[in-house]
Amino acid sequence: MAQVREIKRRIRSVQNTQQITKTMEMVSAAKIRRAQFRIESARPYAAGMIDVLNNVGKRADVNLHPLLTRHEKIKKTVIVALSSDRGLCGAFNTNVIRLAEDIIAAEKQKNRAVTIFAIGRKAINYFNYVGYELIGELREMSDSPTFAHAKFIAGELIQKYTAKEIDKVVLVFNHFKSAMEQKAIKHVLLPISEETVAAEEVKLTADYLFEPSDGEVLNHLLPTYIKALIYRALLESAASEHGARRTAMKSATDNAVDMIARLTRTFNRARQALITQEIAEIAGGAEALKAVLQVGEEE
Amino acid sequence: MAEKKLICRILTPEETVFEGEVEMVVAPGKDGEIGILPLHIPLVSVLKTGELRLKLNDNKWENIAVDGGYLEINEDKVIVLADFAVFASKVDVARLEARTKEIKAKIANIKDHGDEFFAATRELEYLANRLRVAKKNK
Repeated sequence: MAQVREIKRRIRSVQNTQQITKTMEMVSAAKIRRAQFRIESARPYAAGMIDVLNNVGKRADVNLHPLLTRHEKIKKTVIVALSSDRGLCGAFNTNVIRLAEDIIAAEKQKNRAVTIFAIGRKAINYFNYVGYELIGELREMSDSPTFAHAKFIAGELIQKYTAKEIDKVVLVFNHFKSAMEQKAIKHVLLPISEETVAAEEVKLTADYLFEPSDGEVLNHLLPTYIKALIYRALLESAASEHGARRTAMKSATDNAVDMIARLTRTFNRARQALITQEIAEIAGGAEALKAVLQVGEEE
Repeated sequence: MAEKKLICRILTPEETVFEGEVEMVVAPGKDGEIGILPLHIPLVSVLKTGELRLKLNDNKWENIAVDGGYLEINEDKVIVLADFAVFASKVDVARLEARTKEIKAKIANIKDHGDEFFAATRELEYLANRLRVAKKNK
């Protein structure tokens, strides 16, 4: 009896869990759609930005700008790691952290000091725990980043890069391939590669006029380019987070269904055994009674 | 009026604010206002925080507050890339005024003139611009 009740209790508990994971799955599915929409909305701006940048890059003397110049000796690298604030999203954070660790190891081999700009509570906690120096952190925004966040991050990095406090910046984030697939990738943010600015295939459409001057336009354009890149990474990471969470929650729900089926089977078997046992007991009892009665009759 | 029209797109990282045909664009260039009519020569200009005006086909004007950015003109296509842009008619005046007060109080409390101070004054500038554009076009 005790065993049957115990199984019943477990079934109920798994059912509760299933209900929660199912809800989380649906919430994430809705959020993916919104996050995807935001990526789409950011695309025209990014495309327009690169157009202008290419046009300017073709004409202006790009070598003079501090964000384009490689520092003579690369001694300090910053890794910007984009993670989530909340867990229950499968390997989402682990992937970013593992890739970041790989880069750290590679940079250290080249005798470069590495510091971290951690975004999202998971990355902040991890890198604090293993004892890396954090030069910046942002939390409570990983699932709904705004351009203002990107501006803030870019501002800090650009200021440090221009002051030559840091020599290289690498972004590490989950690239949103599709709702089902996310992949941790890295992107070298600073120095800006020359190809980005002066892509060969760009044809000169016309002679442009620059106001106030080409150099000045470039001065404004490059930081904005960095901001746009960071914003894009933030959006991708947010969409990936929801995607990863949905996948994780889906398999949790599926597992719960399996578990309930298994438990129900065990429950039925236990119940059947109980009934069989009871019948056997009654039958046994009746037999014994019959025996007693027979003895009485004979006397 | 001339047959030719400008195709104007106003883009911010978060959304496409405007897209359509216009007769004229007046933009807040860094060194003064720039008026753009069809057949303008290709130009890239830095914009300052200010008011961008669009003359629509039916001779109506739309006013948009922009937070800095760039403007590119090529073959009658005008692309404005701004950090933020909002139609004057859509500015939430009450909310922005409340925020302005908050920021002013914050600035009063900042002692050293570091990054924080800089960021706060800049936000104040944006807010003031949006409010000015909104009020002017009431």
